[in-house]
Amino acid sequence: MNLLAPIDPSLVFKVAAVLGGLTVVAYILKMRRRRFEVPFSTLWHRVLQEKEATSLWKHLKRIISLLVQLAILALLLFAVFDPQLGGQDEDARNVVVIIDASASMKAQDEGESGNVMRISMAKLEARELLRSMSGSDAAMLVRMDGQTTPLSRFTSDKAMLRHAVDSLLVSDTPADLERALRAAADALRERQNPTIVIIGDGAYPTEVVERIRIDESVGRELEPAEREALERDKAKKAAATAPGDDESAASSNPASARPDRSDRDASPANQAEPGAAAQATDIGAIDLHGIDVRYIPVGKKSDNVGIVAFNARRYLADKTNYSVLIEVQNFGESAATRRLVVYNGESAVDVKNVTLEPGQTLREIYPKLSGGVGNRLRAELQPASADEAPDVFPLDDKAFALLPARKRQKVLLVTQDNLYLEGAMLVYDNIQVDKLLPEEYDAQVVGGALDDYNAVVFDDHTPENLPAPNVHALYFHPSGEHSPFTIRSTVSAPRATEVSDNHPVMRWVTMSDAHFDESHVFAVDRARGEVSLARYVRDTIVAAKRDGPRKIVAFGFPLAGTDLTLRVAFPLLLVNTLDWFAGDDADLLTTYSTGRRFQVPMDGIYGISEVEVETPFGDKVRAPVTEGMATFYGNWIGVHQLTARDSGEIVAQLELAANLANPNESNIAPRETLMVGDRALEAPPTFAASPSRSLWMYLALLVVLILCVEWITYNRRITV
Amino acid sequence: MALLAQSPVADDRSGLFDEAFLKKLEYLHVVSRKIFAGSLRAERRTRKVGSGIEFADHRKYSWGDDFRYIDWNVYGRVDKLLLRLFEEEEDLHIYILVDCSRSMLIGEPLKLHYAMQVGAALAYVGLANLDRVGLIPFSETLHGRLPPARGKNRIFKFFEFLRNVEIGKRTQLEACMRKFVHQEKRRGLVVLISDFYDPSGFEEGLNILRYNKFEPYVLQVFDWKEANPTLHGDLTIVDCETGETKEVTISRSLLDAYKREHEKYCAELNEFCTARALPYFRTHTRLPFDELILEIFRSGGFLR
Repeated sequence: MNLLAPIDPSLVFKVAAVLGGLTVVAYILKMRRRRFEVPFSTLWHRVLQEKEATSLWKHLKRIISLLVQLAILALLLFAVFDPQLGGQDEDARNVVVIIDASASMKAQDEGESGNVMRISMAKLEARELLRSMSGSDAAMLVRMDGQTTPLSRFTSDKAMLRHAVDSLLVSDTPADLERALRAAADALRERQNPTIVIIGDGAYPTEVVERIRIDESVGRELEPAEREALERDKAKKAAATAPGDDESAASSNPASARPDRSDRDASPANQAEPGAAAQATDIGAIDLHGIDVRYIPVGKKSDNVGIVAFNARRYLADKTNYSVLIEVQNFGESAATRRLVVYNGESAVDVKNVTLEPGQTLREIYPKLSGGVGNRLRAELQPASADEAPDVFPLDDKAFALLPARKRQKVLLVTQDNLYLEGAMLVYDNIQVDKLLPEEYDAQVVGGALDDYNAVVFDDHTPENLPAPNVHALYFHPSGEHSPFTIRSTVSAPRATEVSDNHPVMRWVTMSDAHFDESHVFAVDRARGEVSLARYVRDTIVAAKRDGPRKIVAFGFPLAGTDLTLRVAFPLLLVNTLDWFAGDDADLLTTYSTGRRFQVPMDGIYGISEVEVETPFGDKVRAPVTEGMATFYGNWIGVHQLTARDSGEIVAQLELAANLANPNESNIAPRETLMVGDRALEAPPTFAASPSRSLWMYLALLVVLILCVEWITYNRRITV
Repeated sequence: MALLAQSPVADDRSGLFDEAFLKKLEYLHVVSRKIFAGSLRAERRTRKVGSGIEFADHRKYSWGDDFRYIDWNVYGRVDKLLLRLFEEEEDLHIYILVDCSRSMLIGEPLKLHYAMQVGAALAYVGLANLDRVGLIPFSETLHGRLPPARGKNRIFKFFEFLRNVEIGKRTQLEACMRKFVHQEKRRGLVVLISDFYDPSGFEEGLNILRYNKFEPYVLQVFDWKEANPTLHGDLTIVDCETGETKEVTISRSLLDAYKREHEKYCAELNEFCTARALPYFRTHTRLPFDELILEIFRSGGFLR
């Protein structure tokens, strides 16, 4: 017998001493008895005389009663130590059971009917494994998906472990085998007979599997056929990573072999020189030496056609239309035909049948799509005909994308009649432009009459007062002390030598061939979030910054002294600037991939520390907002809604679409054997059952039994 | 619980002999007249052999006897001098002895009150029958004495006397009876109303009465709950008369044993009286006192 002693023994002994002492003192101290008068005590004396004959038994009963109380106390305190029957079994194992709960485990190819989810089979295997464990074995359950989550501590309590298995949920994220193995190895450190059992479909990146290091005694030697298959895989991988072999070539060749996971998940180490790669692999090795690693395969079929990319964008010039990119890949062993449907909302905007050869990737671009209401796009792969069986892995048959919202802005133009500027603004049909003379502006801005505008464009006018803080401002040739940026100097005939084309304002803009008579040079303070958008050598002539909720862009040159207004770049600059003001800077809204931490820019939202995220299933979680980015882990595919509240009121709402978009996970081909190096991992042995059990529950039951007996005998005046 | 009275008992006797009680007494008297109707010199006869007119017995002649009572007919037949004896007719003395020890202050109603009502009722019947009725309360000694009187108009003196009876301590039958027989020279009927809870026993006290030619009438009064206690837990029982204490833990078996012991004690008293032809009545305080009186009448002996 061994004691787990979850509580400090010294504390238990102190408590035992105090409680034992109190029990004895309570028995030593006689209770003050109630006094009652009787008319004739002689009768009682006669009765009691008969009882006196058994006085020894009476005393004994008191001692027995005390001993029973002390025994109850001792049993309870003993139970606190969590004693285990069977002692320290030398063969006792410490097992970490890693259950694959990644998206591919939602494939429905198990069971006799062939439509049972893999995760159900994995749970069945896990329960079977737990059942076969001996009483002295301890197990810890770990869920492996994009994250690694321990579901239990090391325990021999099979009921608790079974409950943890039953409550396991599958997410829509890819499996992160490396993280799970490292966590398991850490958990098993310095534990006796460490064992890792992986229950899954083996759909793990080869690159990760190759970095696993195990003992020679673990697993079995590969069969010739397996060794041949392994060599073939390696050769295929070498071919895939050969110079000049790009992905587009592979995807455009339908006859190319079925892609290996490592092709898409190639690490930098694999793409470097062989020597360096070997070194990097050793550095990143997953060291499982001294650990018995086992594998229980789940899954039967590999036929799957899935959407591996889906995105949409509006046209810059015509925001009513949009284009869609879809990538579909056939992961099966045979050619497959699917009907590809693109929905906008609930309206289908395009339907077509696609046929893919094994391993083929089909990239489809749908230009100039329009119609439909709302901004939610959905792509679906459906059976080409009604009599075809549905896909075994429906999770990647759907993908979601969101079109950038079209925001109509109200813009105030403050100018002394600049035809170039007014003409350029007419290009943008998503704005409503009003015009004021500078003196009219100065007269109206004080009363707050201009606070309704979303943006103000100042042409050669630098007012003292600006509208409300949420009104953005665009300056051309600001001057004086009210300039949004400190004017350091003025340069003659500057050229735009450097342009920050990663800033939304300068996207797709070329200013290198524009001429300027002169320009102010702004002093840009990066510490205050001010950025330089265009420079002449090192002098900033275009700058942007945020001033609280207000965004400001300033051009140092006057529009009258430049030929920029005659170029295509000028209306583009205006559109970019107004889009940036509207928070519509991401024309191409990239959809998010599950299994990663989503970082969502909360543009235009200030002073909010967290947002509420509603998942596609309606669950609501809180996500912190730091530096304007809401951060949360993406577990589910579908449209997520983020709501920012200030004092209970909704201040902003935005949506994002998340897709699986992971070819490794869509490649659901199960692996019967998981080959690590030149060894194949084996299924775990059936452990010999032993009667070892945790005793605390039996001790507690014994105490309850004793208390019941004591209670009954007390009430029947047997032990009093 | 009255049996386990811990505080001084409310011994309020003001309502003991009220109008309703008097009506019951009158009713009892009427009933008693139906059972016995006498028209002699006295309403009742004693066992005393004396100068009456009704022949009672013969005895041998001895020197000094009155020749007039020699039965010459017997002398003629059997040649022996025998003297004729006649029952002497005189007033019957009835002594009502009421136990007023502390043990009588137990019960619901109090045994003492019940005993006083029974005693008063019997006294009334006796007074109404022109017997001489006296009242003597006792405990460890005699607590005063109401001398024998006759005539039912004296009943109010009895009431007054009973209302003022002092409560004694412990029951000592033997000492009290010894004192009583020395105090009362006229023999007669002695109605002894008590719970007979005397640690030294009841036998000697009753024998003293018998040996001194008194006719004891034994009325044992007990409270229902003292015979059938419903106690529980750990107790220190205190004898209300002696103050003696004993620690007991009440169990069902102990209660059963006590009930058996109480029944046995009562049976001993009954057996003692029956063996000596002493009328014995046992009653608990829940029984209305008039029913007890009627039972006494029906059994005979009290009314002659």
